[in-house]
Amino acid sequence: MTLTVNIRRKAFGAAPVLEAISFSAGLGERIAILGPSGVGKSTLLALIAGLDAAYEGSIKAPGRIAMIFQTPRLLPWRTLAQNLMIAVPEATEAKIHAALAEVGLESAADQHPEKISLGMQRRAALARALLAKPDLLLMDEPLVSLDVASAQTMRDLLVKTLDLTGATALIATHDRREALFLADRVLEIGGAPATLIRDRATNLPRGEGRDTATIETLHEEWFE
Amino acid sequence: MTGRSYFWPILSLAALVAIWQAAALIAASPTLPGPAETFEAMREEIAFGYFSHLFATLARVAAAFLIAMAVGGAIGVWLGMNAQADRFFGGWVILFLNLPALVTIILCYVWFGLTEAAAVTAVAVNKIPNVAATLREGAKALSTDLSEMAQVYQLSWSARMRHVVLPQLAPFFAAAARNGLALVWKIVLVVELLGRPNGVGFKIHEHFQLFNVAAILAYAIGFIIIVQLIEWIILQPWEKAANRWRR
Repeated sequence: MTLTVNIRRKAFGAAPVLEAISFSAGLGERIAILGPSGVGKSTLLALIAGLDAAYEGSIKAPGRIAMIFQTPRLLPWRTLAQNLMIAVPEATEAKIHAALAEVGLESAADQHPEKISLGMQRRAALARALLAKPDLLLMDEPLVSLDVASAQTMRDLLVKTLDLTGATALIATHDRREALFLADRVLEIGGAPATLIRDRATNLPRGEGRDTATIETLHEEWFE
Repeated sequence: MTGRSYFWPILSLAALVAIWQAAALIAASPTLPGPAETFEAMREEIAFGYFSHLFATLARVAAAFLIAMAVGGAIGVWLGMNAQADRFFGGWVILFLNLPALVTIILCYVWFGLTEAAAVTAVAVNKIPNVAATLREGAKALSTDLSEMAQVYQLSWSARMRHVVLPQLAPFFAAAARNGLALVWKIVLVVELLGRPNGVGFKIHEHFQLFNVAAILAYAIGFIIIVQLIEWIILQPWEKAANRWRR
């Protein structure tokens, strides 16, 4: 297993946020963490990323992790190419430009983040994750706050990135259709404190077979 | 700067000189000399080491300023990033901020003698709490989002400092430097007046005893010009470069 999560309890002060959340993920598996906003999905990803060590339980994660945060979290005083180089210092200039080209930003390599749109910043953050060649890719609401066209582009790029890296992926989202489109398995969390409610495999083929009609059918079957 | 952007500062300066000249004419007293008498006094003082006194003061300002920026900056960043240390030492910063400069100067001279080291230390000690307080606020305002990004991508300590922390602190360093320069040179003058054998402060004291107001103004104006040049040649271009990325 690439990732083994066994969280008995995570609290902020006296208030418990997560309780009894256990699951494992195999190599290359794509898992959606589905739950309403504010339920604790970001907290769960932060624990897995090693950003917060104050919890009861254990997490066994691979060494090389990349994360796509809800906000792009690019260094505003560095260009896009510099941002990628700083995050992955061993990458060559050619690889940095190739990663930017993969997300359609080859001509914006020398731009500063504040001078481009949010959608482009998100794609740059995706290029950074792609360049890192992670064993585990964590994505926190990767399509939130994007307009329909940008979200569509970003969604296609996410799938492409996952195909290219072959990384195990955890995608935190509140959007059921997004979860069904991106993941092979959906873990639903809910309640206060949040617990694991359901763990279901979509059993959908990857790529072309995962079209809107198929997603709608499964959405109806699972949630309505 | 374009020709147009020079216009208003020059006009403003000319107006100030005109008011000064008018006041001098109305007062018609050696206690308020006009610009011409002051310039003449400056010309006379050049023969008596005007520039060497300006340089002595400038050297003390530079030494005290660099020490204060380095020590105060380190203390401020440490306090800003360490809540426990801030809880314990925060009160010390307030205490030293409110310690009168004159007291520090006299204590340094009493404890360490009338030496160059005591003079520079006295000035630096006066400025350190000011820099520390400014940089502490800067360190407290560091972005948690960017720190987490740096952690996830396992940036080295040096990369975090260079690319994540220092660029965020740059505006606070600039503010501390600008306020610091103005404060430091004024304190240096007091230090020189009380216990140094040269420098602008020493000369002002000497001319005060002779009631030579024109020479006092000549030294003051000379140093104001130097500080303004530092602002134009070093601080403003640096600040501009540090903020180039902003929209």
